[in-house]
Amino acid sequence: MTDGPLIVQSDKTILLDVDHILSDECRRQIASFAELEKSPEHIHTYRLTPLGLWNARAAGLDAEHVIDILLKYSRFAVPHALLVDIAETMSRYGRLRLEAHPVHGLTLVSHDPAVLKEVTRGKKIAPMLGLQIDDETIIVHPGQRGFLKQALLKLGWPAEDFAGYVDGEAHEISLNQDGWTIRRYQELAAEGFWHGGSGVVVLPCGAGKTIVGAAAMAHAKATTLILVTNTVAARQWRDELLKRTSLHEDEIGEYSGSKKEIRPVTIATYQVLTTRKKGIYTHLDLFDAIDWGLIIYDEVHLLPAPVFRFTADIQSRRRLGLTATLVREDGMEGEVFSLIGPKRYDVPWKEIEQQGYIAPADCVEVRINLTDAERMHYATAEQEDRYRFCSTTETKRKVAIALARKHKDEQVLIIGQYIDQLDALGAELGVPVIKGETPIKEREELFNLYRAGEITCLVVSKVANFSIDLPDATIAIQVSGTFGSRQEEAQRLGRILRPKADGRTARFYSLVARDTVDQDFAQNRQRFLAEQGYAYRIIDADDIEDDIEDGIEDGIEDGIEENN
Amino acid sequence: MSSSFADALRARSDQEILRLFAARPDLLSPVPSDLSALAARASSMPSIMRARDALNKFEFDVLTAAATLADPFTQLELLRITDKSAKAVLATLEERALVYADGEKFRLPSNVRALIGENPAGLGPHSVQKINFDLLESAPQGALDVLNKMVWGPPRGQVADVKRANPTITWLLENKFLIAFDSQTLLLPREVAMHLRGGKVFKELQQSAPSVSGVARKQKAVDLAAIANISTFIRWSEELTHHWSDEPPTALRSGGLGVRDLKRTAEHLGVDETCAAFVAEVLFLGGLLVIDTDDQILPTSAFDLWLTKSSEDRWQSLVTLWLETSRVAGLVGKGDSKSVAALGPELDRAGISGLKRALLALLTTIPEIDPALTSLQERMKFEMPTRTNNEYITWILREAEWLGITGQGALSTFGRALITGGELGIERALPEPVDHILIQADNSAIAPGPLTLEIANEMGTLADIESRGGATVYRFTESSIRRALDHGKTGESIREFLKKTSKTPVPQPLEYLISDVAKRHGRLRVGHANSYIRCEDEGLILQITHDKNLEDLRLRKIAPQVLIADVEISELVVRLRDAHYLPAMENGTGILISAPAIRRAKSRPRPPRIITENTAPTEKIILAAVRALRAGEKATSHKPREVPRTTANETLDMLNQFIEEQASITIGYADSNGGVSNRLVDPLSISLGTLVARDHATGEIAQFRIPRITGVSPAQSAPSE
Repeated sequence: MTDGPLIVQSDKTILLDVDHILSDECRRQIASFAELEKSPEHIHTYRLTPLGLWNARAAGLDAEHVIDILLKYSRFAVPHALLVDIAETMSRYGRLRLEAHPVHGLTLVSHDPAVLKEVTRGKKIAPMLGLQIDDETIIVHPGQRGFLKQALLKLGWPAEDFAGYVDGEAHEISLNQDGWTIRRYQELAAEGFWHGGSGVVVLPCGAGKTIVGAAAMAHAKATTLILVTNTVAARQWRDELLKRTSLHEDEIGEYSGSKKEIRPVTIATYQVLTTRKKGIYTHLDLFDAIDWGLIIYDEVHLLPAPVFRFTADIQSRRRLGLTATLVREDGMEGEVFSLIGPKRYDVPWKEIEQQGYIAPADCVEVRINLTDAERMHYATAEQEDRYRFCSTTETKRKVAIALARKHKDEQVLIIGQYIDQLDALGAELGVPVIKGETPIKEREELFNLYRAGEITCLVVSKVANFSIDLPDATIAIQVSGTFGSRQEEAQRLGRILRPKADGRTARFYSLVARDTVDQDFAQNRQRFLAEQGYAYRIIDADDIEDDIEDGIEDGIEDGIEENN
Repeated sequence: MSSSFADALRARSDQEILRLFAARPDLLSPVPSDLSALAARASSMPSIMRARDALNKFEFDVLTAAATLADPFTQLELLRITDKSAKAVLATLEERALVYADGEKFRLPSNVRALIGENPAGLGPHSVQKINFDLLESAPQGALDVLNKMVWGPPRGQVADVKRANPTITWLLENKFLIAFDSQTLLLPREVAMHLRGGKVFKELQQSAPSVSGVARKQKAVDLAAIANISTFIRWSEELTHHWSDEPPTALRSGGLGVRDLKRTAEHLGVDETCAAFVAEVLFLGGLLVIDTDDQILPTSAFDLWLTKSSEDRWQSLVTLWLETSRVAGLVGKGDSKSVAALGPELDRAGISGLKRALLALLTTIPEIDPALTSLQERMKFEMPTRTNNEYITWILREAEWLGITGQGALSTFGRALITGGELGIERALPEPVDHILIQADNSAIAPGPLTLEIANEMGTLADIESRGGATVYRFTESSIRRALDHGKTGESIREFLKKTSKTPVPQPLEYLISDVAKRHGRLRVGHANSYIRCEDEGLILQITHDKNLEDLRLRKIAPQVLIADVEISELVVRLRDAHYLPAMENGTGILISAPAIRRAKSRPRPPRIITENTAPTEKIILAAVRALRAGEKATSHKPREVPRTTANETLDMLNQFIEEQASITIGYADSNGGVSNRLVDPLSISLGTLVARDHATGEIAQFRIPRITGVSPAQSAPSE
């Protein structure tokens, strides 16, 4: 019995004791083959998945190595069956290979005829394959590379892809580290991606994913297509690239609702790509417009279905997915991995926080007691109207206003789902409201004013959930959300995580009506952050006054400490 | 023959008899009365089969070779057709009385020959005529090919017609190299086969056990793996039992666990179905699970006792049973037509425990080796050629690994101690139980090791288990806290327990969760009452509650205007009236109902069965009856009287009654054409819709389908047979 930091569970999860002296060393070792599932304060959970093990094989690790690491760090005896399973799983990788044949183009090759037979008999796979050239080689229909890989993965026979990537049209891009330097983890992430070929990088909000993208472009030195969530984000990407790389304004194009520029580096929105005219996606040609050397998917967790399908077609191009929160309530995480590529880099949020690259945050759930009248109204409301009702009550509005007034000296964001509610808040506080119908131009102006500190409070709808960079926002007040969406909660917290000049702690208020579905949804929403180690405090709305006083002092003290 | 066998036994010294008993222990029970009795027993077929099963392949082959020789044979003859080394084997066989001496020569007990069969080692019958083997030199082309096809058995060949066979066959027949058995079958005489085999019975005579090869393992790693297996097995046992306690599966009608329940259980444990079936079987053996009277499969109180024992005792109690059982869990789900069920009646196989012991004993001789399956199977084939079964060996090894007798395929220290009877030392090797948990902000708690029983039980009610293994990951949810409150915990006691048990501070959201649920829990109260009293006059209600006359009704006030009672509504009304109140009854919707003037039972009429008694008949009737009887007698003097028809229920009742009384009865029994015949039978039992009874006509036990029984009457009324 060793006294290691790892506990290997029979359900293939691995628990890592963070307080153990060897935990750092051990974490680096297991990160290469196990996937980080959650990282709360004491025990981190990793999971052994076939995908993770195959990626480890692809990266050159063998089963022996993986088993050695587990045995070395494990606190208790590791179930033998699990070790056998690891060896078996890993041995499945590479028995099938995708190779570029000089005459026949893309071929599926295996030295194990039985395996080849097994997969070709699959109903889904057979139509993707052409003639069998010999016992070991079968032609793959052109354009099926992505689908075939996906289908093989589902069958449990992952194909090792030797067909390689196209280099794309070369275009000189380099990082312009003038007055700033790339951070260690950003560099590691970009390198991890480049060596893996394609894949997803997971970094917390505010940790500088754009820089990782820029560094990847500098590796590729080729034309790049960047897909982002909305036009505001597109402009931010452009500004950031101009600042951080050798690219000039005329090299970067915007492909959005308003502009349709195609340049060596083109930034397009998901929305424009998925616009349909008479049932046809008119803009998907963009993928073929230039011989792209790299395609970057920003906020890859939002990848819409048509782009999913199209991505399967472009498997020979390098693909980089960026996200902070790869959780989807629709359970499509796996699809992202199989189409874009495996997770290449992932760090716990709290670790980046410790390094000071994102602001520490204090998450507060404010429990609001509804009035008796409201409770009665809630009790008699139709099932489908209940969430809307309880999350937009009068009482909640009053609490939100009180909170906003309390923090009037700081940069405050009020975030919500229901436009009526937001309009009412905006009117009462006398601050602008940004919502879906607000023109892009006006949005940008308002954000600029906010960044400049001329406006200290903004009310925003879910259009500001992602990618909006507001460095000085320190207080977020969430009044309502998209039901139980975990990633929305995390992304909203992300809006206030840019490190503050004075090192102050950001604060995230989530207003929740007690004893209603609001509370149930809130619990699910908070789960992702809780798993990242963000412990929510719960306070009663009635206690707000006192708490805020204390909290502000705490925050300032924390800030001072860190500055020292 | 047997007399000389007995003589041979009589000639044995005490020592030799002792050795015979040691080698064939079945001869000892019961102890034979004299040597003739011993001879009879030792040459009986069952005993000889047991003795044969105890032979290894070499011994068995030599015995087979001996059977190719005619009695009596000499040692030299036997060695000539086998090998010189067979000398020692012959001695062994003689010691075991499978061969006995007749002067200088030897004989086989006739049952040994019967057991080995007509064609020992694939050899045909002796030739009655002398064969000139020199003729083979001049044999026609193809003749040798024909012989070579038959030489290693079976010594039989088919042709369309012996008389019109091709010239080669004809030549072989003419020269006695083949014998025509009938018009189509040809036999190869034993002498010819032996000549072609070069004088030896066997192509290769395997004389020593093949060595077992495998992968080398380090004992330390083996023990680590084994201890992981042991703790996993104990955990599976506990989990399966707890799971079935929550959701008991219902046993199949034929006994045993249904396929769907097995699948569900396997999913719960996170193992495959063969493993789940095995765990269930072992628990069933240990009496920790039982098929209850209502067909639910439930843990027994023995399980609760088992839980309190040390891990070592828990393991040992189950593994010992596994070693001894004749049930083969590997058969579950295997059957040909229908699948064999775990815990079902079809799993017993003779000889499995002997094979198990032999296999484990073999493992003790190859420490630090994970034997290759095929090499182990080869070895067992030599050690016990008639009893080994490759599939069973695979299963035994698999189960030994699950149990932790082996680790990484090699015998563990614990397994060795179990087999050789040393101190197990499992308790020391298992990780120390921990008495604390770590609670995290996401409402999960982790026990970083096996928990003490007390804390594990407590946590089991407080939280749901998310992941198991060396550690346990729990999650607190609203429903898990509610469950704890249902079990009589209070919000305060839960907080207290967590504070005491958790090494980390209890996160605030969890405290809120507990107090929120505790606050709401029990706000609605549900109870049981048979009747109620309601009255808008609260004073009157108060008066009733204080009425001495009504004290024993135990009326409970649940609201100022409502009382409830456990007595039936009619009784309550009567009592109230007796106490000079004026109650009125209302129905479920609050409408007054007037009291019924006449009382009627609520249940359906069920008049008792009428058992008719004969009233004294009038003389006229008797005379008429006698006349009719005579007439009938003449008309149907050969036809038995029909048994009075009874209804199916009456038939069953009466049959049961007669079974109890053990009386003979006559039944009317319809055949498939509807013709009714009378049978005189002794009823024995009723099962699955049939009457099992001894039929007087045949004297045999027969089954009668109850729906076909037209009537039953006591035997006296039946015509004499």
